[in-house]
Amino acid sequence: MSLLTLPSNREEGWRWSDLSALPQLSEREPTGRVPTDLPWIACEREGPRLLFVDGRLDETRSRLGPVEIGPVDVTASDHPLARLAGRSGWRLRLGLDHAPHGLVQIVHVSTGAADHLAAQIELDVDAQASICETFIGEGWANRLTGIRLFKGSRLMLSRRLLGASGFISQVDHAQVGQGASLVVASLAAGGTDTRLDGHYALDGEAAYAEASSALLARGRQRHDANVVVRHAMPSGVSRQVWRSVADDRAACSVAARVEVARHAQKTDGEQSLKGLLLARSATINAKPELEIFADDVKCAHGATVGELDRNALFYLGSRGVSPDEARALLTRAFVADALDRIGEEEVKAAFYADVETWFAGR
Amino acid sequence: MLKIDNLHATVDDKPILKGISLAINAGEIHAVMGPNGSGKSTLSYVLAGRPGYAVTEGSVTLDGEDLLELDPHERAAKGMFLGFQYPVEIPGVSNVQFLRTALNAQRRARGEAELSAGEFLRVAREQADALDLSMDMMKRGVNVGFSGGEKKRNEMVQMGIIDPRLAILDETDSGLDIDALRVVGQGINRIMRKPDKAVLLITHYERLLEIVEPDFVHVLAGGRIVRSGGPELAHELEREGYGAMAEAAA
Ligand SMILES: Nc1ncnc2c1ncn2[C@@H]1O[C@H](COP(=O)(O)OP(=O)(O)OP(=O)(O)O)[C@@H](O)[C@H]1O
Ligand SMILES: [Mg+2]
Repeated sequence: MSLLTLPSNREEGWRWSDLSALPQLSEREPTGRVPTDLPWIACEREGPRLLFVDGRLDETRSRLGPVEIGPVDVTASDHPLARLAGRSGWRLRLGLDHAPHGLVQIVHVSTGAADHLAAQIELDVDAQASICETFIGEGWANRLTGIRLFKGSRLMLSRRLLGASGFISQVDHAQVGQGASLVVASLAAGGTDTRLDGHYALDGEAAYAEASSALLARGRQRHDANVVVRHAMPSGVSRQVWRSVADDRAACSVAARVEVARHAQKTDGEQSLKGLLLARSATINAKPELEIFADDVKCAHGATVGELDRNALFYLGSRGVSPDEARALLTRAFVADALDRIGEEEVKAAFYADVETWFAGR
Repeated sequence: MLKIDNLHATVDDKPILKGISLAINAGEIHAVMGPNGSGKSTLSYVLAGRPGYAVTEGSVTLDGEDLLELDPHERAAKGMFLGFQYPVEIPGVSNVQFLRTALNAQRRARGEAELSAGEFLRVAREQADALDLSMDMMKRGVNVGFSGGEKKRNEMVQMGIIDPRLAILDETDSGLDIDALRVVGQGINRIMRKPDKAVLLITHYERLLEIVEPDFVHVLAGGRIVRSGGPELAHELEREGYGAMAEAAA
């Protein structure tokens, strides 16, 4: 039996978490059942594909390309979930000016138990990659991803958290170098609970980092995110766009912080946390934070929580749109702020299709 | 087509409509005029089924069917259209998306085939052209950043696309410049002046009624219809104001 030490709600970073399902999931046996239809995104330019079943690569259904499997060099940190992720998994290291052919797709199927996996992404000067990870199944998928972007490199990392039940935890540790760009976009639109942690450090001048997420929750689901963007060098730009939607008795919680170090002058940091309550019994928690030690910075943050606009609902109704369809249309518009930031059309379309599936699941 | 009988309604428990009776037949255009706060918009909202507006007495039927039992979207599917005095802005939803969703929802409800994206865009372009709204504007968020007059013209574009049988138009002429007034008035005639259609036209100004000539004019004051007549009643109001009539009703 594994010893699982989990943080308590008394710790500030975990005050809104509910990890109570994890001990049980850790002791379950995986069923190993993998659906025949996997949520690959059809792409004009087919890139590498990796299928992980319960944290293990299914070689017969994978095409690695430049991705390697083996030990990875990530700091496990003292994060209580990240340190369980171990030190082996997948690794994408791209040399100077390299880019994989097409979108790198990774599907994680978690078949009912707990699986842990680490990953390392390292892009050398001017390298580029776009990676889309999709999580399905009903276990606990626990992930740690170390990201290192050297000068001028660009990484687009999109994640679809679609597990039918269970838990998905994801911890990112990223260092973004001079003029490099990191965009992380996530969508939680399944039945699973989630916990997302991100530590994005802008370590080089004029670096760019963005975290955009749409979290959809219903029933008694919980999504819980804790993100820190740290501007360590001058002229960095960061964007955080979080859109939370909670129905029934569900809860979405987002704590997002922007830190600006003393000499990180000319920082431009924006943070927008918005919540939409589809039912009075649902909960949205938002905690935007700015910690600024430089004087010449432009930082904006805002947090709002509201309900669907009644006037808009009636306007739509008067034009013949049913209440369910009207709610879906307005909710889709609400999360669009986050999803429209995804650059690749094929990935964006997949995200929107996931949102539709979520609405259809009512 | 529409039969309103002794309609009483409250808003937030406050009585606003105090016994309105009105019958509108196919092929007719009825104008409703009346001072600010007399209940004109309230009447239009009650007819369209806006939440928060409670009918306390009386009945409304559309083609003999109880209208008050239906949800707003069901009333729309039966052919009713409300032109809003204050059209609503919906950021993040484009006019095109909004209208295609609406039109197809109505067509589904009536058992008709949905329009493809291409077919819909052709209809939308035709109607937008007729009202001098560019397709660029139609691709923007619903009414977002539209001027007052553009919002009203957009209501008419919507009416043209949806092609209702019964239109209740709440001050569609307010906020329009003289040229736009003509465009909108002609739009109403083009879309609604048909033997199988009817219009309830709420307005403060005779000018619109010179373009869209009503068959009947009613004066609403204090939640009641205090006078009904032919088009000449509008001229009389233009000359003499509501004062005398509203007093007579009180
Ligand atoms: N939510 C509400 N709560 C209380 N009173 C209301 C509410 N909405 C409307 N009223 C009142 O109902 C009355 C009728 O309003 P309504 O908007 O129907 O008038 P109107 O005839 O359309 O006026 P206008 O010509 O200014 O558009 C007004 O006295 C108004 O203040
Ligand atoms: Mg009014």
